[in-house]
Amino acid sequence: MHRLLVVLATIVLTSALGFSAAAAPAVAPTRGGTLIVGSGTDATTLDGHLYTDSPTATIMEHMTETLYELSPEGRVQPRLALSHTVSPDGRTWTFRLRPNVRFHDGTTFDAAAAKFNLDRVLNPATRAPWRFLIDRVTEVTAVDSTTLRLVTNAPFAPLLAHLTHSGLAMQSPTAIQRLGADYARQPVGTGPFRFREWVRGDRVVVTRFDDYWGEKALLDEVQFRVIPDDGARLAALEAGSLHVAVRVPPREIERLRAGRDPIVRIDTSLRTIFVAFNVTRPPFSDRRLRQALNYAVNKRAIVQSALAGTARVSDAPIAPNVQGYSPVPVYDWDTDRAASLLREAGYSRERPLRAVFHHPTGRYIRDAEIAASIQGLARRVGIELELRTLEFGAYIALTARPREQNDIQMYMLGWGTVTGDADYGLYALFHSSQWPPVGFNRGFYKNDRVDQLLDRARVTVDQSQRNQMYAEAMRLIAEDAAWLFLHSESQVTGVRAAVQGLIVHPGERVMAHQAWLRR
Amino acid sequence: MLSSIRASTTAEARRPSRSRWRLIWNQFRRSRAGLVGLSILLVFLLAGVLAPILAPYDPYEIDLEASLRGPGGGHWLGRDELGRDLLSRIIYGARLSLVIGVIAVAIGAAFGVPVGALSGYLGGRVDLFTQRAIDVMLAFPGILLAIVLVAILGVGLVQVMVAVGIVSIPVYARLVRGQVLSLREQEFVDAARALGATDTRIIWRHVLPNTVAVIIVQSTLQVASAILSAAALGFLGLGAQPPAAEWGSMLSNARQYIRLAPHSVTFPGLAIMLTVLGFNLVGDAVRDALDPRMRL
Repeated sequence: MHRLLVVLATIVLTSALGFSAAAAPAVAPTRGGTLIVGSGTDATTLDGHLYTDSPTATIMEHMTETLYELSPEGRVQPRLALSHTVSPDGRTWTFRLRPNVRFHDGTTFDAAAAKFNLDRVLNPATRAPWRFLIDRVTEVTAVDSTTLRLVTNAPFAPLLAHLTHSGLAMQSPTAIQRLGADYARQPVGTGPFRFREWVRGDRVVVTRFDDYWGEKALLDEVQFRVIPDDGARLAALEAGSLHVAVRVPPREIERLRAGRDPIVRIDTSLRTIFVAFNVTRPPFSDRRLRQALNYAVNKRAIVQSALAGTARVSDAPIAPNVQGYSPVPVYDWDTDRAASLLREAGYSRERPLRAVFHHPTGRYIRDAEIAASIQGLARRVGIELELRTLEFGAYIALTARPREQNDIQMYMLGWGTVTGDADYGLYALFHSSQWPPVGFNRGFYKNDRVDQLLDRARVTVDQSQRNQMYAEAMRLIAEDAAWLFLHSESQVTGVRAAVQGLIVHPGERVMAHQAWLRR
Repeated sequence: MLSSIRASTTAEARRPSRSRWRLIWNQFRRSRAGLVGLSILLVFLLAGVLAPILAPYDPYEIDLEASLRGPGGGHWLGRDELGRDLLSRIIYGARLSLVIGVIAVAIGAAFGVPVGALSGYLGGRVDLFTQRAIDVMLAFPGILLAIVLVAILGVGLVQVMVAVGIVSIPVYARLVRGQVLSLREQEFVDAARALGATDTRIIWRHVLPNTVAVIIVQSTLQVASAILSAAALGFLGLGAQPPAAEWGSMLSNARQYIRLAPHSVTFPGLAIMLTVLGFNLVGDAVRDALDPRMRL
């Protein structure tokens, strides 16, 4: 109980810190200047419907906008839409769109443009990875220039939350039609910044869009620079060649806090880090072995060492700030129970359980070090894990193989529930319809009861009923030990003291929309 | 029959005899640097061979609560990012590094020497083709070629030994070819040929034994660069995989924490530096000892 209180207090404090930094500054903002943001990876594509990673989302969200947005506090609020109504049967959604909005190329944003975008995502030929977010939508109609109507094949509770996903951004139909495949290199949206250039592997530059419909940006320009190594990125920030550095190594926080510039901020994140087991293949088709590993790994020690206490040990498959979260009983560190489960399954120190453990390097905070910690902790109970790592693109492709070709035994991954709604975090990862190559259930988990609960929660509108369904589904998932549950990350960002008004969104986005540089 | 015996004695006379080895040792002893190098190598060799006895802790036992702690409390060199004892890991690392170095060089010599000998002895088209192939290999910087080879062979310790070994093939091939080119013009080779010895016999019995001295010198220096290449591959994550106590990968894992825990980077770095230095000092001294012009 005491520990729970400490954890809660930490969360409250860190989020409070995050918001206070974003609050209105005392001095009047100055206009102009270039903000340089150091990121870990380059953009994968600049087509707002085709990317899957949050570093690209950070860039895109300066240029494109969605019908709804998730505020940093976790509220779904209108952006390019103004309001919506739902028919009594819960299947027809009518949206009133914001008038007098133009894309950067002068095209008018209206219901026809919105329909074009949603149809493009829904069209299987586009191969939009986030199609599943709106795959219940069967009909998109532009009623008049500011009225859009969506019809779903069943009541679909998370629709508004899903429309906040930046993978459903509104992009200029004229530009998409005119440029074809080249569009992915010169995106056109409605956001406060417009695209200027993309130097592959080095930087993406956006400049202020002066005809923006809303509150105009203060900065002239934002540059997103690629510096893959966490240490090198921090060094560049300290040397003053960056204004913002994402993913500061947590163990450096204490040292940085001793100085005045740069400032370290810790913001909440919607990302959960886990190790998924392929439950259809030996050895981890045996639930006892999955549970044994859960007992063998001291997650608290990992969080305290590699992450310097900035993360929160998982007590559910989703992060606590996701709508639908409730804590479920998971596995406390208990090497005796791990050993007895291993014995039951026929393993011992003399005949150790051997498995190959795939993990990424440099994608999540201290991922390789965490993998090595897991290896070391598993070794104590007589589980021999062989570590394998790959470049992230190749790694993702490997985990996405269909079942017959997928011989991965266990792999580490992170999932940011960026819509802030449990459906996105649970349906995509645990529903049996989401096995690769279609979806993200890459451990091939299948539990009929869980499927049923996730399906029902999708079409239930009452939030408290949904929460109960999710709670039961998560309890079953934990009981099945579908994952080795690890932690939910916090974002550790280094910022130069001159930077004001910067928002670090829990969806892992650095937002410079209203940022400015103090002179 | 009689003449063939005579021919081989001619060649044997040019092979280093026991008294010659003594002469070389006497010469080597005069080099202070060489002796320093030799003692460094002996220390690491002993550490490597006796690792299970010498290492104070299990090099793989992690202790997350004590991660990155500096020297002290029974851990003479401190602990790494997972709380493992650094001294024990460096001692076990000596074993790995020396094995990698020696095996890689053995692979290089095993292929490079015959290729060079054949190429030099046979001459003509064989020489032309092998030498162009070797030119191609030499055109790549060694570490780049090793990375390409690891990419083809896959990541791991054995693969690193093979890759670094392949990289040193052209070095041996060039060196031996040069030696053979000058040796094959010598009278004792003509004599052997006149007596009807086969090419294989001439190369094996008469020519190669005379290149042993240069091969030894080259190998001592080559072990140093093989250890360095293997450490570089380990640093890039292409060599020994965790939890192996390989110096290069220890450096790589600890470099994030260079400012927080300088000891975790310094000691593996020192270990690499000292071993490479040791081999280089010994190599230089051996070369001097074997060089007739240096003999007083």
